[in-house]
Amino acid sequence: MRARRSPGPWFAAPVALFMLACFAAPIFIVTWFSLMPARSFDLTTAFTAENYVTAFTEGYARPLMWSLIGAAITTTVCAVLAWPSAVILHRHAGNWATVVAALIALPIFISESVRLFGMSVFMMPRGGILAGTLNALFGLQIGSILNTWSAALVGMIYVHLPFMLFPLLLGVSLIPADRIEAARDLGANRWQVFREVELPLAAPGLTIGALLTFVLCIGANAEAAILGGRAVTVITTAIEQRFSFAQDWPMGAALTVLVIAITAAIVLPVLARLDLNRLTRR
Amino acid sequence: MTQGHRLAALRTLWIVAILAFLYIPIISVVLASLANTRYMRFPHRIWTVDAYRDALGSFTTWQLHTISLSIALSVVLISTLLGTLGAVAFARYDWRGRGWFQRLLVLPIFFPQPVLGLALLLSFTAIGISPSWKTAVVAHLVWIVPIVTLVISVRFFGYDVAQEEAAYDLGASNLQVFREVTMPQIWPGVFSGILFGFLLSWSNLPLSVFTSGPDTPLPVWLFTRTATNYSPLVPSVAVIGTVVSAMIVIGAALLLWASSRLRSPAR
Repeated sequence: MRARRSPGPWFAAPVALFMLACFAAPIFIVTWFSLMPARSFDLTTAFTAENYVTAFTEGYARPLMWSLIGAAITTTVCAVLAWPSAVILHRHAGNWATVVAALIALPIFISESVRLFGMSVFMMPRGGILAGTLNALFGLQIGSILNTWSAALVGMIYVHLPFMLFPLLLGVSLIPADRIEAARDLGANRWQVFREVELPLAAPGLTIGALLTFVLCIGANAEAAILGGRAVTVITTAIEQRFSFAQDWPMGAALTVLVIAITAAIVLPVLARLDLNRLTRR
Repeated sequence: MTQGHRLAALRTLWIVAILAFLYIPIISVVLASLANTRYMRFPHRIWTVDAYRDALGSFTTWQLHTISLSIALSVVLISTLLGTLGAVAFARYDWRGRGWFQRLLVLPIFFPQPVLGLALLLSFTAIGISPSWKTAVVAHLVWIVPIVTLVISVRFFGYDVAQEEAAYDLGASNLQVFREVTMPQIWPGVFSGILFGFLLSWSNLPLSVFTSGPDTPLPVWLFTRTATNYSPLVPSVAVIGTVVSAMIVIGAALLLWASSRLRSPAR
């Protein structure tokens, strides 16, 4: 019997073409623009690297640092909050696990602007939900962290926690219970079990969760705008200002390319090693 | 024994705290919408649903919903089509280059969305397309097509290829095999894909904010009105928008349930 050629590529073609036109091409155009002289609006072949030099000499390193530090803090805190939650849900919640998991997933489908707005009315000083309630019930006057970087961070943790929790839940479910028993029987303490058994076995889930959280946070701008009161300028805001107010497309494009390059440097090595078939098949 | 009890109580407390963290802001929006004062002064002196009456009577509310709905429905239509085909390539067949296809396809998910929005905005403007709700559809698709593809792909693992072979042996055409064998099996995945596509598009802020131009979808309007020009109208529109999306999803699920009930006794 003649082996038929697999029709796989034909099925892949529409999606691949769409991604080429609407994902790869824009990245290409932005890269091209980033090599144009400052304040030009056309694509020519007079390439220059001046925008990248400006990016590092004229204070754009600061917003980039805010975004990266914010992403790192958010990822860490989310992991610390999500690990015990995932373990409890997987091992101890029993029948409740599905309900709780659904409750955690639900907010993902409510708009970020709705939830962040809710966070801001909760945090608001004096007449806010928290301050107002405390004042009415106990006569307590409290200050507020609204319009600070901390508030923006709380918002980022709030928005991204589910993105860490679900991959981690997958990761924790990859740990066979008898492995932990075995390690305990061999005299390992809690910390050793965690470090030598649980963490390595749950690593694929943790990696995906951390990667997703970190990458989503690099571009996060709504948290800083709604909760941070622009106490800090994040990189997305800096790029937006270049595009709109300053009318300097090449500069904005150069900053965009820098963010994409950083993202790629983090995502590509991890993704190259991950076996997607194994994870989705589970 | 008591230590076990205390541990169990601690675990419950932890989960309750996490859920409270996730739901307090959502409850806060509902609470804020029940005021009639220009500035937030909680607890409200007068609790009222005036803001909802204003919101329902306002043209803006209807316009925002129309735009959000146009975007979400277009996204669902195209992403389900592309995603189903993509999932077949992703999971059904083993072909040379599949590994690459799988990796490249998930890239947009691992990409900062606002940065994607800005890159698309620049590209659209550079090639002379002015931003509108249609460009927002394209932006949403770049992010949602990979997600829908993954959601549908999951249904393919554990799929029995032998059934297709059997159908071919019995003389079925390609189209018949797809309609009668493949589709019924992956349909739950396709349906989840439709729901995911709809909800993710309806609620999306970071892509819409840069790519929708003068057509303002709900989340973008809420975002701009939160920063400036606040009034109880803002939280009430937020609640209405969220309830509408929930109702559409529940309606779709009921429809699916009813249609499967109608069909199953016959067979």
